[in-house]
Order: sequence, then structure tokens, then C-alpha cells
Amino acid sequence: MKVLLVGDGAREHAMAEALASSPQGYRVYALSSYVNPGIREAVNRTGGEYTQGNINSREEVAKAIKRFNPDFGVVGPEDPLFHGVADEFRKNGIPVVGPNMAGAEIERSKVWMRQLMWKYRIDGRLRFRSFTSLEEASRFIVEYGGSVAVKPAEQVGGKGVKVVADIQAYLSNEKRRALSKSVDEIGSLVKNEVKIIIEEKVDGPEYTLHVLTDGHTFLPLPLAQDYKHAYQDGIGPETGGMGSVSGPGRLLPFINEEEYEKTLKIVQDTARAIGQETGESYRGFISGQMMLTELWGPTVIEFYSRMGDPETSAIIPRITSDFGYLLQLTAEERLTQAKLEVRMEPSVVRAVAPLGYPLRRDMATGKEISLDVKAMREKGCLVYFGSISYEGGKLVTKGSRALELVALGDFEESSRKLDGCIKMISANTELVYRTDIGRTLGEQVEKAEIVRYSYQNRIRRNSLGVSADWAPNGGLW
Amino acid sequence: MAGIVGLLAFDKVWNISRFLYYSMIGLQHRGYASSGVVMLNQEMRSVTRDVSPEDLEFQLEGWAGIGYTGSRRGYPIHNDEVAIVVDGVLREPENFLKTFARDRERALEEAKGAFSLIAMTRDGEIVGYRDETGVRPLSLGGFGFDMGIIASEPVAMSVIGGDFRREVMPGEMVTISSLNVKSTQIKEPRKAYCSIEYVYQARIDSVVNESNVYETRVRIGEQLAEEKPIEADTVIGVPDTALPFAVGYSRKLGLQLDLGFTRTGSPIRTMLASDSFLKIVGVQLKLNPIKSAVFGKRVVLIDDSMVTGTTLKNTIMSLRRLGAKEVHVLIGSPKLISACPYGIEVPEDKELIAANLSEEEIAKVLGADSIHWLSLEGLSRAISKSTLCTGCMTKRYPKVI
Repeated sequence: MKVLLVGDGAREHAMAEALASSPQGYRVYALSSYVNPGIREAVNRTGGEYTQGNINSREEVAKAIKRFNPDFGVVGPEDPLFHGVADEFRKNGIPVVGPNMAGAEIERSKVWMRQLMWKYRIDGRLRFRSFTSLEEASRFIVEYGGSVAVKPAEQVGGKGVKVVADIQAYLSNEKRRALSKSVDEIGSLVKNEVKIIIEEKVDGPEYTLHVLTDGHTFLPLPLAQDYKHAYQDGIGPETGGMGSVSGPGRLLPFINEEEYEKTLKIVQDTARAIGQETGESYRGFISGQMMLTELWGPTVIEFYSRMGDPETSAIIPRITSDFGYLLQLTAEERLTQAKLEVRMEPSVVRAVAPLGYPLRRDMATGKEISLDVKAMREKGCLVYFGSISYEGGKLVTKGSRALELVALGDFEESSRKLDGCIKMISANTELVYRTDIGRTLGEQVEKAEIVRYSYQNRIRRNSLGVSADWAPNGGLW
Repeated sequence: MAGIVGLLAFDKVWNISRFLYYSMIGLQHRGYASSGVVMLNQEMRSVTRDVSPEDLEFQLEGWAGIGYTGSRRGYPIHNDEVAIVVDGVLREPENFLKTFARDRERALEEAKGAFSLIAMTRDGEIVGYRDETGVRPLSLGGFGFDMGIIASEPVAMSVIGGDFRREVMPGEMVTISSLNVKSTQIKEPRKAYCSIEYVYQARIDSVVNESNVYETRVRIGEQLAEEKPIEADTVIGVPDTALPFAVGYSRKLGLQLDLGFTRTGSPIRTMLASDSFLKIVGVQLKLNPIKSAVFGKRVVLIDDSMVTGTTLKNTIMSLRRLGAKEVHVLIGSPKLISACPYGIEVPEDKELIAANLSEEEIAKVLGADSIHWLSLEGLSRAISKSTLCTGCMTKRYPKVI
């Protein structure tokens, strides 16, 4: 059987690897915007073909479909989904993993997502205001007390989220001034009319639940947590994620069974609501990027219409049943036949980026990295290639997270393996990575315990999700 | 004694001057006779005055800066390339600056003294270093996705809404720039954590030297109860530092706890006042005893330390005047008998009452019914660490400087 994979990062490498090593014997074909060394290897190993082009272009995807005539398709990243690449597969009669454009709106438009959650009264929703005028958004921020999160109204590669915790009244002006300056920058990222969404700010440990659905059946994957701060010890600007953890079992040390079930229900309710709203069933991954908060317990920060990166690298290696086959069953709407087996032992993922990521991408581009994947595997680390291309026998960075290293075993053991493997990477630039990932679970457990006291108290008082803000000029929000 | 802090915003839209100001106020319990800042915008500009950080006015703007509040004058010091603030003792700081600008690792390896320091370079790096003894504390944290912070104590982070991440380890150098946060071990740790930090220097909402300060002080109170249980009607702690001792003591023995004093004016630290007249006036102004808390009662009075005994003598006298039947004194630290070469303001031997008089004589001077100091063993049991510097209590110093 032939499978066509669209995408080029570490997530797609992990998927390509799962497909290539499936007992089903898939031949892996792929369309990427550059030559990902890992995808290239999976393609070559299975006798498929690898082509380069614009992964967001329906025409180029249609061309690849014609050329390779795949039995099913897998779309990795969100941007192609936003551009209708899954629609294109289905138009050509090819089953595919990934929602149509209409369904992917759940990730693309933060405003649509929040409206949907309120309309269908789905748990874990947050209060929000959307703004077409940047000036009004700035005024709103300055006027309202309380803490807010300011985001671009659309998904723009995870960029541009600003959070203000306004507990220290004496610094209020400073924080708000900086934030209203950022509004212009955030607004410039968005093409549509609605530029900015401002949400009430919540706090707590974050986690992601990925759910595979074929429109009828829901198959939840084990939880994962990603780490957004760029630098060591959880300091630094926001990134797409500098690493992740998953496990033990299907949970994380700081999320209990009940919270897992609640989260799953939120994701399912949302997928069904999308179906009702768009008139077509949602098929593919729908992933809840969650936070455990005092307001709701499980609370939705955003939805992904695909798998998270670097969460994927933490999850796929823990699945002992045939993940490639799961993808085929999803595409063909036969998910009822699926079975999922997961290792008990956790995993830790550490991303490696060239110096300059995320604030100076120019510095992080065009650097050379070398490593011995085989030797690293012997040390217990899997390597997934991300923003790095294979150019004339060299590995050249593309400006973002170049590698994701994965180790299995308990958190400390995995972290030690990764410490050893990171040293085996050489580069003609400084490398940025975090050795604290996998070593701070104790703090997460405590954070969760603190919010759990409050949200369970809300359950008893029957006030789950109830909150408000007030400003003299703006009134109640 | 000093509180030091360094702040760096990853995005230059931030003006961090108010953040720096409030984080310094958060550290002024470590010393406040003099304070100063250096801010970085295009260039480094500084303001230093002999006032507490609350009164330090500076109109500087910048996206990175370092601040000092402490008992020494003239910090931060800087040249064109680099500015530093120091808690503890750093010999020949001007030479150090020169070497640091050229080769910072070498400068730190060769530096003489016992200290924590924070440096800021003109090209936008904040560097924190804690010497191999770790005798002075230093911690690392952040503010959202926006700033990295290095400071003496976590409170400098929490007052501005930031998050404490971890302590800097003895011998470790931490570098924050807009592009990375790095850690380099310059020297092998030879831990000798300052006992005084646990007893009274650090704030009770802090974590220093691998311990939660509030918990440690309550345990010291419990340890005092083990060592010297007294039949009394009430327990009183001298505000603010000795309050947790009184909590621990009363809890352990089931004795009533009272608030024996209320404060007049701003919380001036008596021990930090340079002038001895101010010390006496300071304590009387500061601590006004509450009659109904002590009238007709046998009182256990707990304080954190004893230097000359002047403060305590006055306190005991005023308690008796208000009708305390008995006044038993407990001290939450072992006897201070020797000066501190590492920057804690413990006076010389000749000024330390415990270095010169017997316990009986001291009780006589103070006018107390009895007096007891926490034992050295009790101190390490309460702190549950064996790697302590107790130089001012034993005259055994971990590092020659």
C-alpha cells in the first residue's frame, strides 16, 4: 500500500518512521518544502518517492496525488489543512488523516473556537473579547483590571501570545504599556479583519490530549506536556515547544483519571459541535491544548487540528501497537477496528535549536549540524529531524528547532540518557536546549494540587467556570 | 550585607526600571543604607545614592539593569564594558571589572573573596555567579515569556509577579541574554551556607540555601522548646524575625502565643543601624510593648540574636514595667562570638557581649530571669544541613579571603 505524507518537520519524521516500520509494509511517499533527512530515510527504506514543493498549495498536492496515486494520505502540519489540502485528497477520492478546511477552522480561528464553545456550552471555555481595531484592543487592555491573555485572532505558528498577570497593582501600568505596544505587533501577524482576541487569563499546569477520530469513533492517545519557554530552567521567550514529556501510562504525573476523562469529553463535544456547525463530520486529529485551572479544572487554551510538535515525538515511540495502521484506519473511517497499546514507561523529548531561535531566526539559519544517529540510538536516544535539511550530504539548519531527541524510561533516567546524547551532536554554532525538561515534574504536581483545591471547591459550590471582570468605564465583562 | 538583582527583558519594548525598583525594595531587608542601579539602553547609565531603594529616584529607561541595596557605598560599580553588584566581600573590585571584561571565567576563578555577584555587560548579558562556598545566596527566575531575573532571594521575583526557578549552585555561573540562558560550573562546590541567612537574614517567604526559610525558623523554635522548656504563661517573639521562633516554641509546648509588640514608624532593622544611639532609640520607637499581652504573666521572650545586648535589655525592662512577672529570654541562634569576614554585619569580638561575658553575667546585665541560646547541634538539626558556615559562632571559618 502507498501512503502520501504531507509535511516536513520532526512530527512528520516521527509519522514517516511509524509508517515505514509498520508490519503493513507501507511504501512511504512524501511532499515536503525541503529535504528532511529523516523523512528521506523512511521514504528510501520503503521504496517510495520524495518530492519537494509548497505543502500549502492545493495544486502541488493534487500533482503529487496524481503522480504517486496513494491509497491514503496523512497531513502533518496545520497550514496545509488551513489551505484545504485534506479537501484536495478527498476530492480525488483518497482517504486522508486530517480535517477539511471547514473543520480546521477550530485551530485557525481562535474567535470561532471560543464562539463555538460558548454556543454549545462546552466545559473549559474562557471569557473572551475580539477586536478588529488595534486601538480598541489597547484601550481595553489599559482599562480593565485583572489578568488577560492577548492573542492573534488566528493561528500564526504559535507566535504572538502575550499574557499579563495583573496581581501587582503597582506594576500595572508598566505591564499594560508594554502589552499595548505589543498589540500592534500581534495585529500585524493577522491578515483577516478580526485581529486580536483577549481572553481572561488562567493559570495552572498545561497538557495536551490528542484524539484520533474518523467521524464516528474517538481514539484518545496518551497525554503529553510540552515546554514553551525557549531557554534552560523555563526562562525565555515563547517557542513552539522546546521539549515534551508523556506518561506514565496514558496519564501524566499531575493529571488524574477523572481529569483525563473530562478532557476527553471536552474534545469529543467540540468535535461533534464542529460537525453540526459545518455540516460535515470532523476526521483526523483533534487535540486539546489544555490547562488545569482553578476555574474549570480541565480548561481549553486552544485546539490543534493535527498532532502537536514536539508532543508527537513523546507519544509515538510509546505506542507499541501499529501506529501507521491506526493512521490508515482513521483515513478509511474504520477506527472501530483499531487497537491502541501504550508502554507504561514515560518518555522525555528534548528539542535542539541553533542559537538565534526564536528571536533571531536569521542567526539560526544556514548552520551545519552533524551527528551519528546510530551511535545515539545505542545510547538510548531516538532522533527526529525537524527544521533541518539534507543538502549535498550536509545537514543545514532552517531557523527553527532542528532536532528532537527522545528517550524512554523513567523521567530522570530518560533525562540522563538525553544529557549523554546531546553531547554527541556537533555544530558550527552554539546549540540551545533545555536539560530541565523531565526534571520538574514535582513542581507540576504541586501546581496541579494547588488548582485542584480550588476547582474542587467550585464543584461543591456549584460555581465551576464562573468569573467576571469589571472596569468603571467598561462595565462588567 | 546586600540584596542584589539583575533583570533582562528579551524584547526591547519593555522598560524594566519599575520592575528593578520594586524587586530592590523586595530585597531591602538585606540592607538599605545605600542603593543604586545601572540600566542598559544604548549605553549603561547609573544612579547611586546613600538612601534606601524606596527613596532612590531614577528616571533611567532600559530593557536590562542591575540593582543594589545594602550597607556598602558605591555599588553598582562599572566601567564602559561591565557593571557589577556584589553581596559579600569581593577584593579589588576595580581590577576584577577589568579582568571580567576580557575573560569572565578567568576573572571569577581568580576573584578573591566570598560573595555572590551579578554583572551586566554592555552588549546585553546578565551574569550571575555564586562563589564555591555559596555563603551568600543567589537565585534564578523569570517573568513570563518576557524577562530573566537573577537575585539574592526569590522575593525579588515574586514582588514583580515573576517566578522563582531555582537557586544558583555554589561555584556556578549563569548567563542570561536575549538568545540563551546558560550555566557553567566555574569551581567545584565546597558548600558552607551562612547560618545567619536561616536565622534572620533571609525573608520568611524565601527559599534560600536549599531550605524554606519559614519552615526552618519554626523548627528552630521547636528546637528551643526541646532544649529549654520553660513553665510560662505566654510566648512572645520580637518582631519580625523572631515571630516564627515563637510560633514553633508555643506549638511544641502548647503554650499561649501573644503578639507582644506593635511597631512605630517604618521597619528599621536595629542591627543595621550604624549609630548606637539610633539603636536604642530605634528599638524603643520600633517596638512598643502591649501591656495586656504581658501583664501578670510569666513571659518567654524570643529574639533572633544578641550582639551587645542593648536592644534586649531595653525590651526586657519595658516588659517588666508593664507587669510581666518573669521574663525568660531565648535566642534563636547560638552565641555570636566573632566577626564575619564574608560581609554579614557582625561586629568585632570586643563589641559582642557573648564573646566577653559568662551566661550568668549576661543574664544580670539584661535583667532576665533566665537566658538560653540555641545550641550549635540544635542549629544544624533545625536546618538539617551539615554544610554550614558558623564562623561567627565558632571562629572556624570555611574560607580564607
